[in-house]
Amino acid sequence: MYGWAGQRAVIDVTEKKIIIEETDPRGIELFLGGRGLNSYTLYQMVKPDIDPLGPDNPLIFGVGPVNGTLIPGSGRMTVTAVSPLTVVANGTKPCFGDANIGGFFGPEMKYAGFDQLIFIGQSEEPIYIFINDGQVEIKDAKHLWGLDTWETEKTIKKELKDNNVQVVSIGPAGENLVRTAAIMHHISRAAAKCGLGTVMGSKKIKAVAVRGTGGVKVKHPEELEKIVAEAISILQNDPSSVTYSRVGTSSLLAAHQKAGRLATRNYQNSQFEHWEDISSEALQKYWKRPAACFACPLHCAHYYEINEGEFAGTVGEGPEYVTLASFGSKIGNRNLESILYLNNLCNKLGLDTLNTGSSIAWAMECWQKGIIGPEDTDGLNLEWGNYREVITLINRIARREGEFASLLAEGAYFAAKKVGKGSELLVNHVKGQDPGLSDPRTAQAWGLGYAVASRGGCHLRALPSSETFFSPEEAVEMFGYEEAVEPLGIKGKGRLIKWSEEQRAIADSLEVCKFIVRTGLIYAKYEAMFFNAVTGQDMTPEEVIITGERIIAIERAFNVRQGLTKEDDTLSHRFLNVPISEGPAKGRVNNLKPMLEEYYEARGWDLKTGYQSKSKLVELKLEWVAEELEKLGKVVE
Amino acid sequence: MKSRMLINVEPSKCTGCRMCEMACSLIHTGQCSPSLARINVVKNEEQGINIPILCMQCSDAPCITACPKEALYQDPDSGWVLIKEDLCIGCKLCHMACPVGAFRFPKETKKVVKCDLCGGDPNCVKFCEPGALQFTAEVNFHQRKSLNILSAFELKFDNEKAVKHNPTPEGIRI
Repeated sequence: MYGWAGQRAVIDVTEKKIIIEETDPRGIELFLGGRGLNSYTLYQMVKPDIDPLGPDNPLIFGVGPVNGTLIPGSGRMTVTAVSPLTVVANGTKPCFGDANIGGFFGPEMKYAGFDQLIFIGQSEEPIYIFINDGQVEIKDAKHLWGLDTWETEKTIKKELKDNNVQVVSIGPAGENLVRTAAIMHHISRAAAKCGLGTVMGSKKIKAVAVRGTGGVKVKHPEELEKIVAEAISILQNDPSSVTYSRVGTSSLLAAHQKAGRLATRNYQNSQFEHWEDISSEALQKYWKRPAACFACPLHCAHYYEINEGEFAGTVGEGPEYVTLASFGSKIGNRNLESILYLNNLCNKLGLDTLNTGSSIAWAMECWQKGIIGPEDTDGLNLEWGNYREVITLINRIARREGEFASLLAEGAYFAAKKVGKGSELLVNHVKGQDPGLSDPRTAQAWGLGYAVASRGGCHLRALPSSETFFSPEEAVEMFGYEEAVEPLGIKGKGRLIKWSEEQRAIADSLEVCKFIVRTGLIYAKYEAMFFNAVTGQDMTPEEVIITGERIIAIERAFNVRQGLTKEDDTLSHRFLNVPISEGPAKGRVNNLKPMLEEYYEARGWDLKTGYQSKSKLVELKLEWVAEELEKLGKVVE
Repeated sequence: MKSRMLINVEPSKCTGCRMCEMACSLIHTGQCSPSLARINVVKNEEQGINIPILCMQCSDAPCITACPKEALYQDPDSGWVLIKEDLCIGCKLCHMACPVGAFRFPKETKKVVKCDLCGGDPNCVKFCEPGALQFTAEVNFHQRKSLNILSAFELKFDNEKAVKHNPTPEGIRI
């Protein structure tokens, strides 16, 4: 088989039973692999009354047909499960969840012979799984329980006597079922969204280690080399990609500041007066060298080291824009060294920096507004920028030490529900998840992308980079209106987001990094070229877009079956109702309604309910989904 | 003998992406597989140290001395250490003698393979974006090599060196 490994493992950690079987052929045909294949598998395996932290929630690792090849950025993996963090049906039901992770685990899993690893059940004792060239072994992990993710990875490599073993693990946060827990790999790589580290913790799976000596068969090796050489040259000549090569996503801090969309003090402001202290310019002092994920000519990450002062000895990788903003502007903190330290701390404890930062920023605003005080915070002083208290608090959250830390361990959305007193209005979220620190009142299209993202608030589901990348002429051609590429425009945004979502769904399903296909390589023809050279098939760019649409459709169907309605496709209070306080978009809110309607129309979804249409589902070859939804009365004609 | 063309390794430029492994295994086997690649990146993740390991083309190669079947030889024209695969019996004595561990043993053939510089146009060099691998004439090669290895442990960020192309200051896009 070219491209795919051809088999999957279903690992029942309750019964300690392992089934190795062929990768679902219909899944591959309709959904390619990675995210798409996982979404299809989750749709099939889960019933609507699922408990995200119960034994029936499958935790699925999936890689795609071009994973582990010469193709730039072909090292991603998607982890999928029902999310314990994100919600639909007005907060009453769990939402679809997935998270995408870079590094080196995905390719190694493919070399070990698997397209998918599906973990079901719950172990009584801590375990870790070792996958070695087609063999699956469940091993005791009592000695690893409690270790941080860096120690865990090192210990397992030593124990298995192989430095080429790739490991993903959870830290204390996942063990203690903190809802914002991530699955970590290779120091700083994270499957962070949707609290999937918590699902792994609920199964008592401390880590998964893989080692494979196999390979990925390529149908047209010479053609692949040619395409990749062309792709690299496009990346090297694309200013936007070159910026990522130099400074990574930290470049966004200055860009967002200038544009007035930098999440500051829990989105009360959209510009941060001390932004220069935490910008990529300031970071260069600490950077030692660039670092790359698997087969990546972009190498957007950096190793950093702090040599003196309060945080001397801190050595790590990163930080990404989201972390810089989460522990910088968003909590009013201008101390860059503390952000580097907090980045390491979260990586080691296995916490998502975005959603954990969200809980803290929310708590700080509650403090500012007098909703909580020292008597509620177990003595912590939560004034803006008080990074020392934040460090203490994060250590407590990961271990659920004390009542207040335990409250924040539920994430801002659930915590606010418990606290009440108007604090619910201070949570900035979509379906329970922070959408990613680019203020949607300035970035209108991004707001729509957040509102409809299938895994809850997320900037990467659509990542509408074409908004700043396409010319007005191209905008008219692709999306019907010139203002589709104006940040404050409204018309054409629905179609822009639809098209972007489809692009990203394919990148996630081939498992190529979205940063590779972000600007110069954004067109579907490149994804088709990659796919065809590896697998020998002849998919057209049009079919790429249709496959993307199908992936969005099954994720939508999953959420609709969970109880999602149009009311869930919205933004939280501040984004819709409180005018932005400064910057180029001063006075604006997100004008979601017309964009959402255009989006629904472009997708063929019902304007009243948000349900899919039967005919569209059939057109996408999802008749069986249409039938199931029809029985539930959740589809229109 | 005129100076040989060799692959010069500068570990300090290596980002650890392992694209070289992909390029190597793809051109030699039609598969992308690190275990079939004749170059491998040895990594220390916590320190961020990456060292590509491949045949260093020793002028007095211990693997040639060790081979009982005279399967390994130094090519008189190129000066490279190469294998006559049909003579190899897979005893791995060459690997034991090799100071860097440059040999691989594909399961299917049970014969050793090593870097053959792709006959003069090494694929790994072509796909090494950061320029950690260069195909160059052997001038002061041995001095350079030891300095290169040392530099792998010397953590000093050089932003301009890190990318081949000059950035556009206005080019920040979202």
